[in-house]
Amino acid sequence: MKPVLAIMYREYLIRMTSPMWLFFDLIVPLLYLLMFGVGLDRAIGLGLTMEGKSISYNEFFLAGVLSMSCFGSAINHSYGLFIDRDNGIFYEFLTYPMTRGQLLIGKILFGCITSIVQGSLTIAAAVWILNVNLQWQFLLFVLAGLVVGIAGWFFSLAVLAFRVRRNDTFNTILNVAYFVLMFVSSMFYPLDSVPPWLSTAAMFNPLSWHTDALRYFTVGIGDFSLIALEMIGFCIFLAISFWFAVRALQKAG
Amino acid sequence: MTDSAIEVVNLVKTYEKRGVSPVRAVKGISFDVRRGEIFGLLGPNGAGKTTTLKILTTLLTPTSGTARILGYDVVSHPVEVRRCICVVVQENAIELYLSVRNNFRTFGRFHGLNDKEIESRMGRIVELFGLSEHLRVKGVDLSGGLKRRVQVAKMFLVDKPVVFLDEATTGMDTFNKRATIAAIREEASRGRTVVLTTHVLEEAEDLCDSLAIINHGRMIASGSKDHVKAMGLRLLYVWLDFEMLGKSYLRGLRKYKPLKMDVKATSVELTLQDERDALKIVTEARRTGRLRNFEIMNATLEDIFVELIDKKQEEA
Repeated sequence: MKPVLAIMYREYLIRMTSPMWLFFDLIVPLLYLLMFGVGLDRAIGLGLTMEGKSISYNEFFLAGVLSMSCFGSAINHSYGLFIDRDNGIFYEFLTYPMTRGQLLIGKILFGCITSIVQGSLTIAAAVWILNVNLQWQFLLFVLAGLVVGIAGWFFSLAVLAFRVRRNDTFNTILNVAYFVLMFVSSMFYPLDSVPPWLSTAAMFNPLSWHTDALRYFTVGIGDFSLIALEMIGFCIFLAISFWFAVRALQKAG
Repeated sequence: MTDSAIEVVNLVKTYEKRGVSPVRAVKGISFDVRRGEIFGLLGPNGAGKTTTLKILTTLLTPTSGTARILGYDVVSHPVEVRRCICVVVQENAIELYLSVRNNFRTFGRFHGLNDKEIESRMGRIVELFGLSEHLRVKGVDLSGGLKRRVQVAKMFLVDKPVVFLDEATTGMDTFNKRATIAAIREEASRGRTVVLTTHVLEEAEDLCDSLAIINHGRMIASGSKDHVKAMGLRLLYVWLDFEMLGKSYLRGLRKYKPLKMDVKATSVELTLQDERDALKIVTEARRTGRLRNFEIMNATLEDIFVELIDKKQEEA
């Protein structure tokens, strides 16, 4: 446990050297919800009826914002691996007394904490400013979902960060992945109202699985048997990503 | 408990990349390093020194062969190996966004020290490496030499029995180099085993108890410093200083086929293979009536290193 805590301490010190960075890290999802969500809600007037339940776009979009914040934080943390490699400190890390798995878990644990704070702020704003009707009894599941989400995406992006040597290549791949994964998912719109090719593709997207699970626990939309499958799918995605990330890290020296 | 801190047997490392023919960086090298010894791994660029060091520090896995640190195999017990070692990697490794003090703090924590222990040890290290006035400066604001100094200083914060230094003094000024060399000596005298790679052979000659010279991934000489130097015993270094140096005299010296001949203003430095040649040269120099001073001594490690590498290349 000591090495994991040491990595968290290091991430904390680095984040604290730039309070502005930390501030924006925490409030960007909130801004997304308040600006993009509210804008779309008012401009298009999207009231949605899903499974016989009528919800506002803000209610629908809350899970998307939470899921997006996990994905965004995972991108930031995986990019941190690149910075560490450029600084050379990455290779020194690999000689510290810990396993490769501990190194990866330590790197993302601090991210999980910021994700929980981020998520809590976003949920609070959604409830008290946008009048989202939250299912409070599932709040812990939502927070757990944030942790699983950021970990899953971080491990998968870490594989990419360890394999790709060039910063610009990594950025290009991320930009394309970010664009495709977000729009081919249930993040911004319900999948029953999109063309069949898009809804079919989105069904295989872990970002959809994560968003659907968060949506179920935040506003109660979704069929639990399907959601359960998606949660299992995301956990398998996380486990496979972790295994590959450890393997990639073992070869990164 | 074995007397060896490091045991390397038939170590091989082949880099394989799709579409490119495999590169054998290390070709079956073996050596032992005793506890408390300063061991130098020498060789020209691309000799396989860093690859060997990366295997010993668990950064790379060998293709075949074994390497053990204090009895722990680097492949099957990497975490145990990492608990015994600290490493100055070739790359500049410093937390750029943290102050020097926080660099020490994070490093200490990674190696299991608590804040109290870190603070109490930091004083001596900071003093030893002349870092007192830089403690609050962020890594990003330090000069290249200072960054390296912090990187090396961190290693002495923790009590790991084996220390690896890959080109540790690169980029340091003379003052820092001296401080680092003194610190390495002091740590070795406290029983720590130090393995260093360096291009600066004087440094190796000055510091190391034993050496291994590798080239093209093969071991060309190993053993105690005296043993390696004995391999080149027949090499002699001759220094002659004249009131005035004539071109015809210098031409005359070339008939002895010196391995190395450097002319500096009024002096000549020669590396020779034959003792009789050395004596003849000094006798002839005295006959010129212009010789002010001369010296004959055993060749330096650098001369031996160059000769061994050249010999192996000729054989190849």
